[in-house]
Amino acid sequence: MPTSKMDNPNEDYKIQSFDLETQKLLKTALKEPSAVDLEKVSNVIVDQSLKDPVFSKEAGRICYTIVQAEAKHNGNVFRRNLLNRLQLEFKAREETRLRSRQEWVCFVTFICNIFDYLKVNSMPMVALVHPVFDCLFRLAQPDSLNNEEEVDCLVLQLHRIGDQLEKMNSQRMDELFYLLRDGFLLQEGLSSMARLLLLEILEFRAGAWTLSDTAQKYYYSEVND
Amino acid sequence: MSFRQKSKCADGEYNGDENRNRGPSKWSNCRKRGADGSMRSNGDVDSTSTSDLKKSNPTHKHPDNRPVSFTTPESGGPVSRCTDWGSEVETDEMRTSVRRDMQRRRILTADFGPRERTNSSGSSDSRDSPVPGEGMEDDEEVLMRRQKQINYGKNTLAYDRYIQEVPKHLRQPAHPKTPNKFKKYSRRSWDQQIKLWKVKIHAWDPPAQQGSELQAIEEVDLDDIMDIELDFPELDSDASAQPVKVTKAPSSQLDTCHGTPSKMIKMEASVDLDMV
Repeated sequence: MPTSKMDNPNEDYKIQSFDLETQKLLKTALKEPSAVDLEKVSNVIVDQSLKDPVFSKEAGRICYTIVQAEAKHNGNVFRRNLLNRLQLEFKAREETRLRSRQEWVCFVTFICNIFDYLKVNSMPMVALVHPVFDCLFRLAQPDSLNNEEEVDCLVLQLHRIGDQLEKMNSQRMDELFYLLRDGFLLQEGLSSMARLLLLEILEFRAGAWTLSDTAQKYYYSEVND
Repeated sequence: MSFRQKSKCADGEYNGDENRNRGPSKWSNCRKRGADGSMRSNGDVDSTSTSDLKKSNPTHKHPDNRPVSFTTPESGGPVSRCTDWGSEVETDEMRTSVRRDMQRRRILTADFGPRERTNSSGSSDSRDSPVPGEGMEDDEEVLMRRQKQINYGKNTLAYDRYIQEVPKHLRQPAHPKTPNKFKKYSRRSWDQQIKLWKVKIHAWDPPAQQGSELQAIEEVDLDDIMDIELDFPELDSDASAQPVKVTKAPSSQLDTCHGTPSKMIKMEASVDLDMV
């Protein structure tokens, strides 16, 4: 995951949306985790992820770097705080969704991003598998399928981590896709965009988490002739 | 393998089968009750996501109140009652690390088995790998407990400073050496080794004051003071004690940690030679 672009944390981690003081805090955390209050850092990151759709899509990366930096000295305070905070947000997700769809969508994006980036001995975190599935199942419910923002979130996560999730628990993935098929076929009032997104993800998984060339052309080429 | 229930989080590990089941999960069969015997609480709002599923899928677990810690068959069995993700991930990480270490150890000792027998038992090599005759410690619960103790010792500023100052190739017998968790030891013997090891690491505790004198001492090259032997009056009462070779910042140690040197000596006296 670390790339050569790490020399320029500002641009890579998309922390421009933070105020300057917080940016400084984060930059220090990236280099010298023991020098900062890591609980505060994790809260700052989670808070922003819930508010900022752009940040939530890639916040996993900055978390990964801080975890690695701390692990060099056998510490894991940041990861522990981050996960426990995530757990709180997870428990409160239904209220979050009622309060603000965007915040709910940001949360799902963020937790999936964490699942993607934060591995344990090169394996995904087992503790997150069921919670992530729970979130995706929630997004596959009729009321969520009627909301394009949520459908978009659902298919985005499946594109990014679907294959990893399936490896961790293929049974639940099967069940999720029963729901998606049902939704696509049976749900009245589904917007055409939603139907498009669902059809694409159905094909995507059927192709073992990749699109055939022709399907790619169909869905992603704007100029069809 | 016995199941031990401990009050400390993540200590009560059950040694179920070692396979991490990644396929169609068995979590429905492994579903355990919470402490009060119930599976879910009353306050759960999540009916929308479960009510439909429950009919078509009896194995779906209730998201909020599933006792997370009991239902991770992918990790090989029920774990402690601790349900926070932080602890769960830590435990999982330790378990996978220990398993990986075990595999590595098995392969390495299998490869070098014949060579090891020719080593004299008094050499430090015998500590690096288990003597083939005795077998390796392979009880996962024991290994994880030992690894946790080791991690506590390593997660200190003193240890950080130690490994930065003394690269492995410069280590001498008197330097702290991490006990080998794969060797068979009694519980008491192991705990004693850990204690001694941690005491030795304390020699690298950061100084309490930042006086220029102390700083000068810390910058002394290790090789210069390697063979200093310090005599302490208490030593006479423990006749069998080896002279202690204190290698790092002995003066600052005396200044800031009065008890440590004599403690080290007293403990050395009662300890097996080859545990050093």
